[in-house]
Amino acid sequence: MEIVAIDQISPDQVILFAWGFVTINATIAYTWLIMGLLVIGSIAITGNLSSERTMSRWQNLLEVIVGTIRSEVGDIAKEGVDTYFPFIATLFLFILFSNLFTFIPGYVAPTSSLTTTSALAVVVFFAVPIYGISKNGILHYLKEYIQPTFIFFPFHVMGEFSRTLALAVRLFGNIMSHEKVIAILLAVTPLFFPVVMQALGLLIGLIQAYIFAILAMVYIASATQTHEETEHNPKKETEPVKI
Amino acid sequence: MHIDWFVFFCQIVNFLLLLFLLKKFLYGRIIGAMDAREAKITATFVDADKARESARESAEQYEKRLRDLDAQVEAAMNRAREDAEAHRKELMDKAREEVEMLQALWVETLKSERDAFLAELRQLAGTQIYSITRRVLKDLADVELEQRIVEILMERIQTMDEEERGKFRDSLTEGGTITVQSAFDIPAEERKKLDDVIRRYINGDIQVVFEKSDNVMTGYELKTDGHKIAWSIKEYLDSLEEKFYHALHEEAQEKR
Repeated sequence: MEIVAIDQISPDQVILFAWGFVTINATIAYTWLIMGLLVIGSIAITGNLSSERTMSRWQNLLEVIVGTIRSEVGDIAKEGVDTYFPFIATLFLFILFSNLFTFIPGYVAPTSSLTTTSALAVVVFFAVPIYGISKNGILHYLKEYIQPTFIFFPFHVMGEFSRTLALAVRLFGNIMSHEKVIAILLAVTPLFFPVVMQALGLLIGLIQAYIFAILAMVYIASATQTHEETEHNPKKETEPVKI
Repeated sequence: MHIDWFVFFCQIVNFLLLLFLLKKFLYGRIIGAMDAREAKITATFVDADKARESARESAEQYEKRLRDLDAQVEAAMNRAREDAEAHRKELMDKAREEVEMLQALWVETLKSERDAFLAELRQLAGTQIYSITRRVLKDLADVELEQRIVEILMERIQTMDEEERGKFRDSLTEGGTITVQSAFDIPAEERKKLDDVIRRYINGDIQVVFEKSDNVMTGYELKTDGHKIAWSIKEYLDSLEEKFYHALHEEAQEKR
């Protein structure tokens, strides 16, 4: 069952419902599916949480996931973990589950649509200044753009845009290309080999989710911490590296 | 590759909605549960630490109490030992005293018994010696002992040195009496002989009176008002008694 034809590059092109400019395509539908699963699963599991020493397996799983993400965020953010944690964790979980379900026939990952990845990248693009300004104030945040001199201002601005573009395209390219590879392989060698590629796809999906979330966190951290670090950690003498 | 702007904004809204929902239903709850558990575990550890601390304190307290008790027991034992030692010493002293007292009593009894025995012995020995001597004398010389005694008396009067004899004479007044005390009756013949000897050697102008006396034992006593000469087996008996006494005394010393 192929929802997205081999010549269609994005699930955006699969229109399910259209009314004026309102178009419900496969991307939105699968996004809602993932959202629904995440929210309903969360509600189901967190409905009867235990703070005792014994707990259900599902709670244990969630605690492991949440705890791991939290500690990863903490490693980068150093402080104010719980400010950034929900944002980063939501990015990670959404992308992760979008990617993982690709082994289900008929499912198309919303992240294989450039629209979705662009939307997520733009969210990160806005989240960085929002967190930076709320943490250090607008002046401090803007000052970062002319560090070390004002000449660097255009590079900073370009960097902001290019890294957002990179975020969007990296995720889109990986997932989309993987799906296309699977589709082509199914056509060429229908037995065994696509299964291995599917397994590889799970790994790629996990890595891409991790990369996206971690990069978002790094960007936020750079916006909130750069100034403090230069204040607290004056330049250290670095040893010359022999090549 | 185009971007559907409606879908684009839809996805942004979707993401923000998901963020809100997960924050509400997942992170808050899970983190709350984790924090609560962590707090509980911390509290448990704190309680355990407290319990351990209090257990340690109790153990120390009991150890201290045990040490005190040991010390008390030791002190009590020492005291008891000292008391027992003192008591033992006291009892020993008492026993020794009693023994000494008993010994003294025994010695006293022994002494009195010895004295009694010696007195009896003296009496007996005197009598025996007298009878033995008499028999011996009789057997050997075929002379009555009394006769021999009188002879001895006469001999003594005759061999008495002048100084003593002078004293005797001086004690005699003119026409005075000289008393001859003897343990036996002197036969008339012997009396006469003795009378002659006394008159001849001491003084002719006196009266001689013969008396029988138990005090003299076997022997005689020649008495004036102020002077006397005596010969008696008593002297020998006294010597015997003394020797006997010494012998007994030495024996008693050895036994002790």
